[in-house]
Amino acid sequence: MKIRSPLSADVYLRRNIGKTIPLVAVIVLAVLLISSIVALLNSIPLSIRTIYSSTAEYLGVTPRGDTSQTPLYIEDMKQNAPVPIERMVVCRASGCMVRSIVGPWPFVVLGLNREDAEFYLKRQKVEKLIGRMPESGKPEAVISEPVARNLKLKLGSNLQSPTNPDGYSPFPVKVVGIAQTDRWLMIGDIDYQKANHFPPVDLAMAYAATPDDQRKLDAWAVKHFKGKRAQIYTFAQLDKDTSKNFAVLYAILNVIIATLVVVITLMMGLLINIYQGQRLIEFGLLQALGFTKRQLIRRTILESAWFIAIGWILGIGMAYLALLGVKAKLMNPNAWALLAFDKMAFAYTVPVPIAILIVATFTVLLRFRKFDPVGVVERRLV
Amino acid sequence: MIRSDAASLRYVDHGREVVACDAVSLEVQKGEFLGILGPSGSGKSSLLYLLSGLKSPTSGRVLVNDQDMGQMTDAERAKLRLSTFGFVFQQPFLLGYLSAVENALVGSSQRELDRAFPLFADLGLGEKMLRRPHELSGGEKQRVCVARAILGSPDVIFADEPTAALDHANGLAVVQLLNKHRGEGSLVMVTHDPTMLEAADRVLHLHEGRVERVETR
Repeated sequence: MKIRSPLSADVYLRRNIGKTIPLVAVIVLAVLLISSIVALLNSIPLSIRTIYSSTAEYLGVTPRGDTSQTPLYIEDMKQNAPVPIERMVVCRASGCMVRSIVGPWPFVVLGLNREDAEFYLKRQKVEKLIGRMPESGKPEAVISEPVARNLKLKLGSNLQSPTNPDGYSPFPVKVVGIAQTDRWLMIGDIDYQKANHFPPVDLAMAYAATPDDQRKLDAWAVKHFKGKRAQIYTFAQLDKDTSKNFAVLYAILNVIIATLVVVITLMMGLLINIYQGQRLIEFGLLQALGFTKRQLIRRTILESAWFIAIGWILGIGMAYLALLGVKAKLMNPNAWALLAFDKMAFAYTVPVPIAILIVATFTVLLRFRKFDPVGVVERRLV
Repeated sequence: MIRSDAASLRYVDHGREVVACDAVSLEVQKGEFLGILGPSGSGKSSLLYLLSGLKSPTSGRVLVNDQDMGQMTDAERAKLRLSTFGFVFQQPFLLGYLSAVENALVGSSQRELDRAFPLFADLGLGEKMLRRPHELSGGEKQRVCVARAILGSPDVIFADEPTAALDHANGLAVVQLLNKHRGEGSLVMVTHDPTMLEAADRVLHLHEGRVERVETR
């Protein structure tokens, strides 16, 4: 017959489950709370990057204050771009809002001719088109599957209409095709857009041959058109602006998380101190029997490390499950982006176990600093 | 085995100096049952703490196998206690979350588990090995403490008024069990009840921290 060593850390934790559970539960809740807050906040910039990810495939240039400039810019790009331009497209765009987790966000219906529209869909890795492409001059549109989910549209629904303030068009623009891709896309007919939408500004779209060339072209354009009467649209710029815009929000988040960690750690320190206070007889007895302070301190710290690790792992697991639930029930039906396994969100929880372990260790060291086992066996201290 | 040379223990309590042990010289022989008898406050427990290394003398010295415990570090003294001494205290201190047999094995190696079965049977706890302390009576708890002291096969068992919390019959039973199972080890027992020391080889009578007389049987 074999039995587990009576003084193993896990024996204490399992046999004192009434004390272990509250300690683990506090850590689980803290980890769950922090990682959920961070993951949900992360979903906002992630949504921006997801919704506008289609812009990674091209460089957009529009004139500022002078609509006649577009052809000149196109010529300029053709002649001076540092990489070969595979295709240059001119389109007309109109606005149509999409729904985000923080309210309506602007999006564009790109008015393209048939050939350009097909090229665009191919570039956006569309696997399949359910329905058909818009006909020339008609109020028709193709949208992608995430847009359909977000705006609750299906074939035959109106993407824009005279009565829709978030997507106005003088005629109801019917959805005639749904593209199977994870990109957010809205494509209309260029002739319809020209005839019915204001302002009459042509957007130049420059496609490089490879993603690497596209990045080079985008970077070049940002520098090349600086100070000129042109507005440049690149995914890199969008990404940079998003990071910049959210920097303050993340700074506030850091303060909140730090405060939360301090509060939780103090609470845990208090709880650990109470529980250790209830173990004076145990500590005194073991020391009197001949266990060294170092052995007892190591054992107590090991116990703390155990429940802290269990709490953190359970917390991460529960946060993952909770975020999966939120994603399935709330985010996915609206095509909102959320990472259920958000490494950054989980990284934010790492200070929790570290801070608690430091406080637990400090509490133990303090407790044993002048601890007199004779006081316990003589019943003076207990 | 253990020798104290003019070992004293003095401390200040509420501004007043207390002499718990006053220049006590004695020797604990290998295998003997030494009783320390005296009224409350006579310094019996203090002497036991000095002999077992739980306290260091303020003057004089205590030697174990010719090694001065005063020269040892806390950790060395602790190691000595764990490897060489066994303890039974006045209160039956047990760890509430461990079973009786697990409590008895605290401080002993797993190898002692095989010895624990017959020992528990002999202590009348054969059926209660797996019970937790709250499921045991006071006498049973103290017998578990006896088992804990015996299982490590210590050279010396120190018993500090082990019968104080028990009725007379239970107390006598505990002393008899300690004496029976100590094997070749010594037993140093502190008590204020002379009837508990009938089996002792020698009895030290303590009064106000000093050895008043030694009774050899």
